[in-house]
Amino acid sequence: MNYFPDEVIEHIFDFIASHKDRNSISLVSKSWHKIERCSRKRVFIGNCYAINPERLIERFPSLRSLTLKGKPHFADFNLVPHEWGGFVHPWIVALAKARVGLEELRLKRMVVSDESLELLSRSFASFKSLVLVSCEGFTTDGLASVAANCRHLCELDLQENEIEDHRGQWLNCFPESSTALTSLNFSCLKGETNLAALERLVARSPNLESLKVNRAVPLDALTRLLSCAPQLVDLGVGSYENEPDQESFVKLMDAIKKCTSLRSLSGFSEVAPLCLTAFYPICQNLTSLNLSYAAEIQGNHLIRFIQFCKRLQRLWILDSIGDKGLEVVASTCKELQELRVFPSDLHDEEDNDTAVTEIGLVAISAGCPKLHSILYFCKQMTNAALITVAKNCPNFIRFRLCILEPNKPDHTTSQSLDEGFGAIVQACKGLRRLSVSGLLTDKVFLYIGMYAEQLEMLSIAFAGDTDKGMLYVLNGCKKMRKLEIRDSPFGNAALLADVDKYRTMRSLWMSSCEVTLGGCKRLARNAPWLNVEIINENENNDLMMERNEEDEREKVDRLYLYRTVVGARKDAPPCVTIL
Amino acid sequence: MEGCPRNRETCPKLLDLIHQERKWYHDEEKNNADQEKKLELRLAPPGGDEEDGSAMKKKNIDTRNNIKKEAEEKSIFNLSGNHFSSSNKTTYAPPHISHKRTAPGPVVGWPPVRSFRKNLASSSSSKLGNDQINKSGDEEKQVQPKREGMFVKINMDSVPIGRKVDLNAYSGYEQLSFAVDKLFRGLLAAQRDASGGEGEGKPIIGLLDGKGEFTLTYEDNEGDKMLVGDVPWQMFVSSVKRLRVIKSSEISSALRFGCSKQDKMKN
Repeated sequence: MNYFPDEVIEHIFDFIASHKDRNSISLVSKSWHKIERCSRKRVFIGNCYAINPERLIERFPSLRSLTLKGKPHFADFNLVPHEWGGFVHPWIVALAKARVGLEELRLKRMVVSDESLELLSRSFASFKSLVLVSCEGFTTDGLASVAANCRHLCELDLQENEIEDHRGQWLNCFPESSTALTSLNFSCLKGETNLAALERLVARSPNLESLKVNRAVPLDALTRLLSCAPQLVDLGVGSYENEPDQESFVKLMDAIKKCTSLRSLSGFSEVAPLCLTAFYPICQNLTSLNLSYAAEIQGNHLIRFIQFCKRLQRLWILDSIGDKGLEVVASTCKELQELRVFPSDLHDEEDNDTAVTEIGLVAISAGCPKLHSILYFCKQMTNAALITVAKNCPNFIRFRLCILEPNKPDHTTSQSLDEGFGAIVQACKGLRRLSVSGLLTDKVFLYIGMYAEQLEMLSIAFAGDTDKGMLYVLNGCKKMRKLEIRDSPFGNAALLADVDKYRTMRSLWMSSCEVTLGGCKRLARNAPWLNVEIINENENNDLMMERNEEDEREKVDRLYLYRTVVGARKDAPPCVTIL
Repeated sequence: MEGCPRNRETCPKLLDLIHQERKWYHDEEKNNADQEKKLELRLAPPGGDEEDGSAMKKKNIDTRNNIKKEAEEKSIFNLSGNHFSSSNKTTYAPPHISHKRTAPGPVVGWPPVRSFRKNLASSSSSKLGNDQINKSGDEEKQVQPKREGMFVKINMDSVPIGRKVDLNAYSGYEQLSFAVDKLFRGLLAAQRDASGGEGEGKPIIGLLDGKGEFTLTYEDNEGDKMLVGDVPWQMFVSSVKRLRVIKSSEISSALRFGCSKQDKMKN
């Protein structure tokens, strides 16, 4: 390869898209490192505090697309204080200052402000794509600046963000000349939507493939939208509380019939069940269906609909579908690759016979040979079922099982579920992500450490007996990147056993475990390349200083540590102490 | 791992961690402990611990959980304090009290679903059955009497007499705030015995932003006390059980677990 001019090598590298591969390329030789970094267009940063924007820009001057992740995963479940961090603003400031030709920004669990969005919209003339997932801190005013100033905007995808809705006219801010939109998702907005502006925007966007509207877009508006965008591939439906009258229903169905390219359907929060039936004309084309917000559609309606969706590859559903429903899925959806079953009744008010159990899971595993990813919430499980699932589906890449009651054993044998999960990790040699639940002892971690060779992310809650459990995992799983643990009896011994292990991991989260302040301090001393953060919600630094020497034995409420090349961050709030 | 027999006891990879004998010893010790456990007197909720071979877990006392759970835990630990230590032993940990409850109590961040999913069931049930004018009654329609008029009690600090408000009569927080003012202005003035002078009494304002003398709070269907105004109106209507107007100066003591629940609701 050394005989080729740089341009040729660069051209070859262009074909290599995966981040991992490009990272490997850059390690081959100095010249390859240089060519690679100068030609790199897309960069993925899994932890925004592992590096700073200046160094990023220095290394990758041709950056076009940046993906950043901020808060740790457990922030999704309110375990991380709001003010913890993950601010995107310094990144945008630095990128703007360096005049990077940014075209795409994808953020997850970050704090975004209107100011940041305004600056973004004014600083990058070729900006095309903004994807915000689980972010917060901004309002529809920020969206208005993006709409108004980003002339080449193709994609605005807002997934599950906390956005303050000022009920303004942000949709009106897209200039009349803006016709390049391919994807628009504002399903998480809570306020009213200017329907006329939306219809005009959709009408002048012939390349629009993905449209996901929010609750405020009623049925008749949806009908009009579909009529001017029959080319849609991906549709997110709004909400309409009333059953449609005959005429509206027919109009809707007619419009839907014309959407022959439609492959993906979502939304349906607060929808009258009949509205689902309007989609019968295209259901056999669907490859992706998300009805996990449709709390009002009863199981039998769901089943009737899904019976026709023979090409489904991805299904997100509520557990109201029941085991019977899952059996229908198993016999219908032979192409199914990803299934998520969410809990619908979280207050445990009804003794819900229709929710899913281990029976449904086994049925799916038996019927869907291509299944590789599952997230399953249920009230009970057995080892026998898990062993059967493992036999049926050795191809799992992601296996996340959440038994709603912590520490719940196998309900037929009253034993722990160690053997069941053990079977999963033994059979599924390609398993990359695993979440365990139910009654579990150290043994399950012995199995995980022994068999889960490809495991990159592990979520543990209310499990294990001693430090050995965590040690099995740390010693055994060579590819571990993210380990998150809550309410489990792992302490300093496990934390400190192999400090260098954390060099190979992105992060470790431990909350309500047995680690003490003393242990964390020791870790921080021995590993200066780690940021060891202690998060105490209701306290601040001053209060911690006032405590007496017993300090060191004090259990740490929440510990979050991650490798970094830029040292302690400067934007930590008072409730976070960086050791 | 090639050549390694799939026999967990002899896999060379983990020789440094597990020792065959110690492993079995581990199990035996646990069994013995279980036997002992069964013979012990202990304070546990009715329907206590029925499982064999179950490792007992200690739940961290999370002060943000409800009081009942905390009180229950405290009494258990006081009794057993001498038997069980909670130090970090790397050998087998002594059995801890398992919290067997008939229904799972609220634990922060559990189950691991995003907050907006938690509200799905409760906010949807109040929407069902709205304006059913058409005849297609094949699916089970839940009768929602609330829809006709959703009256909740409202009390105000220093006013002995409470009122009721129909939340369905309002379309948003501002209207509610206005209504509260109308309802209580006169009553409050009468309480304060404004002899002469102000007539009707001072308007009650700033109920939602913390700037007024009073603040509007509510109790939701989980029994938690919340500040009014954080969540979308419909979500509030579907989860509110009663209202209370409190003095703004007493917010922190009135809302004992307010801080974290507010955060929880914000997500």
